Amino acid sequence: MSEAALKSDPAMPADRSIGAVLLDIRSITLRFGGVTALNDVSFDIYKGEIRAIIGPNGAGKSSMLNVISGFYQPQEGTITFEGQMRGSVKPYQVAHQGIARTFQNIALFKGMSTLDNIMTGRITHIRSGFLAQAVWWGRAEREESEHRERVERIIDFLEIQQIRNTAVGRLPYGLQKRVELGRALAAEPKLLLLDEPMAGMNVEEKEDMSRFILDVNDEFGMTVALIEHDMGVVMDLSDRVVVMDYGKVIGDGTPDDVKANPRVREAYLGVASEH
Amino acid sequence: MLQQLYFAIEVSLNGLMTGVLYSLVALGFVLIFKASGVFNYAQGVMALFAALTLVGLQTGQVPFAHLINSVLGTNIHHFGWHLPAVLAIVLTVAVMIVLAVIVEKLVLKHLINQEPIILFMATIGLAYFLEGFGDLMWGSEIKRLEIGLPVGLSETIEGFTYDQLGYGLFIDRLDIVAACIAAILVIALTVFSQYSRIGRALRAVADDHQAALSVGISLRFIWVVVWSIAGMVALVAGIMWGAKSGIQFSLSLIALKALPVLILGGFTSIPGAIVGGLIIGVGEKLFDFLVGPVIGGATENWFAYALALVFLVFRPQGLFGEKIIERV
Repeated sequence: MSEAALKSDPAMPADRSIGAVLLDIRSITLRFGGVTALNDVSFDIYKGEIRAIIGPNGAGKSSMLNVISGFYQPQEGTITFEGQMRGSVKPYQVAHQGIARTFQNIALFKGMSTLDNIMTGRITHIRSGFLAQAVWWGRAEREESEHRERVERIIDFLEIQQIRNTAVGRLPYGLQKRVELGRALAAEPKLLLLDEPMAGMNVEEKEDMSRFILDVNDEFGMTVALIEHDMGVVMDLSDRVVVMDYGKVIGDGTPDDVKANPRVREAYLGVASEH
Repeated sequence: MLQQLYFAIEVSLNGLMTGVLYSLVALGFVLIFKASGVFNYAQGVMALFAALTLVGLQTGQVPFAHLINSVLGTNIHHFGWHLPAVLAIVLTVAVMIVLAVIVEKLVLKHLINQEPIILFMATIGLAYFLEGFGDLMWGSEIKRLEIGLPVGLSETIEGFTYDQLGYGLFIDRLDIVAACIAAILVIALTVFSQYSRIGRALRAVADDHQAALSVGISLRFIWVVVWSIAGMVALVAGIMWGAKSGIQFSLSLIALKALPVLILGGFTSIPGAIVGGLIIGVGEKLFDFLVGPVIGGATENWFAYALALVFLVFRPQGLFGEKIIERV
C-alpha cells in the first residue's frame, strides 16, 4: 500500500496498512561497564504500524528505547532511520529527525502550563531562527500563531481543554501522562516512542490512553513503538510484538505468534520448556 | 524633626539606588541558576572582567601588555586609539559571548549530569581563573570608567525639593540612570523569558533537562545563551559599579552581597532578585541611619547577612521562590 493512500484514507482502519521499514535496528549491543544491557538486538519497525516491545523487568526495553532516542550510545550495531544509517547522535538531534518520545517516569516541565508544555513540542518545527525572532517580530508572531493552532487541536483531541492553563506539576498522574503524550504529538513525529504509557493508571485511564494511541495511528497514520506491561493492552493494540529477556530478543511477530512462542512463555511464566 | 525625616528619606532613596546595583548582580545569578541549576560563583568576577575589558577596549590598551613586554622585551602599552563608548560596549558584549562559548566548551560540556555541588566548585575555579586572567590581560591598577554617564549631584531634584520642602535632597544622577537601566533590563528579560520561544526553551531547560532534550532543545546551545545573557547583565552591573567607584578588585566582592539578596528574593525569581536587592539596599542604609548610632555604627557590613539569616530560618524559599514540596 502506498504512503499517499495511507495518509488520505482514514476509513481503512481494518488493516492499519503497514508500509516500508521505517526504523531498522541491527545487532545493537549496549554495555554499562561490565553489564550488558542489550545483547545483539535486531528488529525493525514498519511505517504505520503499532509495534510493542515487551518483556520482564530488566529485559532491556527502556534501554532499547533510550538507544533509539539517542540518550544511550550503543557500543555495537547500527540504526537505520528512513533508509539513512545513523551515526552517533544527540537526543535533541534525534528529535529533529522526527522521533518523539515519552518517559516512563513522566518528564514534563512542571512549572509550565499544559499549553506551554505542549508548545515546547513544536520546537523542532520552528522555522524562523532565534535571532530572526528577536528582530523580526511580525513573521515570528505569525508562525507562533500557526503553532498555537496545531497545539489547540491536540488539546482538543486529548480532551484536556479544562487544564490548558494549569501548571502540570499540580495535575494528577493520569493527566500528566496525557499531557506528555500531547507534547510528543505536537512534534508531529514520524515515529512516536511511548515508554509504558499506561503504567500506574486505572482501568478507565488505560482505556482512554489506548483509544488515543489507536486514534493517533489510525487517523494520522503515525508509527508508534511502545513498551507496555499490561499484556491485554499489548495484544489488543499492537500489530507486531517484539519480546525481550535479559537484553536479548526472544520472540518477534504478531501477538498470536508471540503468545504461542514457548520461549516467551518460559520467560513470562517461568515454565520449563522442552529443551 | 522634619529635617530628620527628610534626611531619612534621602538615605532611603540612596539605599534604593545601591539596591538597584545589588539587584543587577543578583539577576545574573538567578538567570544562570534557573537555566542550569548552577550557582555561578563567578558572576561577580564576570562583572569585574566585563568592566575591565570595556575600559581596556575603550582606551586602546594592549591586552597582555605586561606579559608581551616581559617576554619580548618590548615596551608597548597602548594602541593609541580611543573608541567611542557605544562601540566599546558592543565589542565587550562580543567578548562576553565568546567567554560564554569558551566556558561551555571547556567546563560545562564536560560536567553534564554532574551534581550541582560539582558545578558550583567549577564556577569557584572559574572565578579565580577569571580574576587572574583579567589582571594579566588588562593590568591590576584601579581604572576610571568614563563612558559619558551623567554623574554628580542632580541640581534639578535638589532645587525642586528645596523649593517645595525647604530641604534639598541629594541624589546622584548616576543612581537615577542606573535605576532606569535596571528597570529596562528587567522588563526586557521578563518579556524575553515569558513570551519568546527561546525564553520558553530556557524555562524548559530550567525545569527538566531530559524532557528538554527529548523535544529537541540543545542543552549546550541554551547554556551558551544563558551565560551570554548573564555576561551582559554582568557588564551592566560592572559599568554601574565602575562608574560609581572605579574599576577595582573589590567589584568582584559585591557578588557576596548578592547572596543575601538571593536568599531574600528566592534563587529562581527574577522579580525576587530585584525586590530583594532593593530591600537590602534600603534596609542596610536605613538601619545604619536609625540603629547605627545607638550601637556604634558600621552596621552596613553585616545587616544584609543578618536579614538573610532571619529569612533562612522563617522563609527559606525567599519572598518569591518556588516552595519545594516533595511528593511522598
